[in-house]
Amino acid sequence: MSEHIEYMKEKTSIDVLLNNGYTIKSITENLSGAFVEFERITGSKIHSETLHILTADARKYFSVHLINRK
Amino acid sequence: MADLSTNIAGIKSPNPFWLASAPPTNSGYQVQRAFEAGWGGAVWKTLGDPILNVSSRFAAVSFNGQKVAGFNNIELITDRPLEVNLKEIYETKKKYPNHAIIASLMVEPKQEKWHEIVKKVEEVGVDGLELNFGCPHGMAERGMGAASGQVPALVEQQTYWVKEVAKTPVIVKLTPNITDITATAEAAVNGGADAISMINTINSLAGVDIETWNTIPHVGGKGAHGGYCGPAVKPIALNMVGECARNSRIDVPISGIGGISNWQDAVEFMLMGSTSVQVCTAAMHHGFRIVEDMIDGLNHYLDRKGIASVNEIIGKSVPKYSDWGDLDLNYQIVAHINNDVCINCNKCHIACEDTSHQCIEMLTGTDGKPYLQVREEDCVGCNLCSIVCPVDGAIDMIEKPNELQPMTWNERQEAIANISYVANSTAK
Ligand SMILES: Cc1cc2nc3c(=O)[nH]c(=O)nc-3n(C[C@H](O)[C@H](O)[C@H](O)COP(=O)(O)O)c2cc1C
Repeated sequence: MSEHIEYMKEKTSIDVLLNNGYTIKSITENLSGAFVEFERITGSKIHSETLHILTADARKYFSVHLINRK
Repeated sequence: MADLSTNIAGIKSPNPFWLASAPPTNSGYQVQRAFEAGWGGAVWKTLGDPILNVSSRFAAVSFNGQKVAGFNNIELITDRPLEVNLKEIYETKKKYPNHAIIASLMVEPKQEKWHEIVKKVEEVGVDGLELNFGCPHGMAERGMGAASGQVPALVEQQTYWVKEVAKTPVIVKLTPNITDITATAEAAVNGGADAISMINTINSLAGVDIETWNTIPHVGGKGAHGGYCGPAVKPIALNMVGECARNSRIDVPISGIGGISNWQDAVEFMLMGSTSVQVCTAAMHHGFRIVEDMIDGLNHYLDRKGIASVNEIIGKSVPKYSDWGDLDLNYQIVAHINNDVCINCNKCHIACEDTSHQCIEMLTGTDGKPYLQVREEDCVGCNLCSIVCPVDGAIDMIEKPNELQPMTWNERQEAIANISYVANSTAK
């Protein structure tokens, strides 16, 4: 599959979480790529989701989001 | 016409073009011929205890019809007694008082040896000294040249000894046969160098004759490593000049050397921080008169840019030379094929398909004719297609706006480190 299509799929899954009120809680990068842990707190409940990001462009994408969050 | 006059650490010359210490500056006859042709300065062939040379000492690497893409030598320093050289230096300086004569020196790493030679050469009126810590063969086997130049402590110590007695500016010429040239450059500065020059030649073997199995060159069937120079080494030299120029601890002027063959090369070295440039191989290949084009070209360039003095361009590219971690990861360029210029040789397609990102497609138009097209969204902007393309103007690399803001690797890692820190401190 084209690298770009792969990226767009990963970008969409990041956007979906962000648009649903999730924020990035932690990032673990290793030989397999990046594992981005998202978290949303509603009341006393903590919802957690982890995305395994494979493409280089998506790794840039969530990083920009992280920088802008400050 | 722009002002080309140059002053490097107090050594003045009518233009920034110097002949490097090498065969072109062997004798008074040659240096005077060079000054007549227009060279602004000459670094005399290295002086020291006269050596013995072997016969068969040069070799060149030709590449795809380009003669002397690289040049290799196993020649040592001067083979003439000091007094003979000094007499000719004196006569030359008297005839050409406004041209720069720099004496290149190499002796054993002993204080009294350096003191002795410095005093003797300064007596005949040289404008400056260049310490040869670079010669990679022969002399290095005797503890001089690159053998000294690869050890920062020896560079510092010997520079210091020279500075104890020198009355003229001291340039330290560095060897590229070292992992990090800024280490020895800093050592030279710590020893009191007034300027540094680089590069001397790079350890090399020009080739092996596959029929006789002899090295190229060989001396009666035996070879030894030599020093490489000429156009092939320019990128290596330019990087070393740039690394020194952007290092705040190396706060002395630089004389750039290595593969400089025309005025454009000289401008590149000056933009990257060289105050003067030195040339050897190009003069050996084409003769002294290449300096005419160098002077004309530099003059026209400066006029075209509206620049009054050549000194104004020194170091102008240095702030643009940085570390990889400070480059913008979101800056994007993509290849664009101009189909009206493209000859459909498919070299770009093959290069991209076999060795890059598989984003140049071979398509057929409605008229049945083949054409090439870049799938821009998959192009990483590596430049390979435009590098291999044989036709000027057939492939342009164009900037593509990125919806993502600029972000460097260092900024990214800092942001990631910060959330880890926040996460850890919340966990506590
Ligand atoms: C045949 C030959 C002899 C050289 N001899 C000396 C020398 O005696 N002293 C020195 O400092 N450099 C010597 N060099 C190195 C040059 O001065 C210069 O640093 C090197 O050739 C890189 O410049 P280029 O690419 O313009 O040739 C020599 C180079 C060549 C090719």
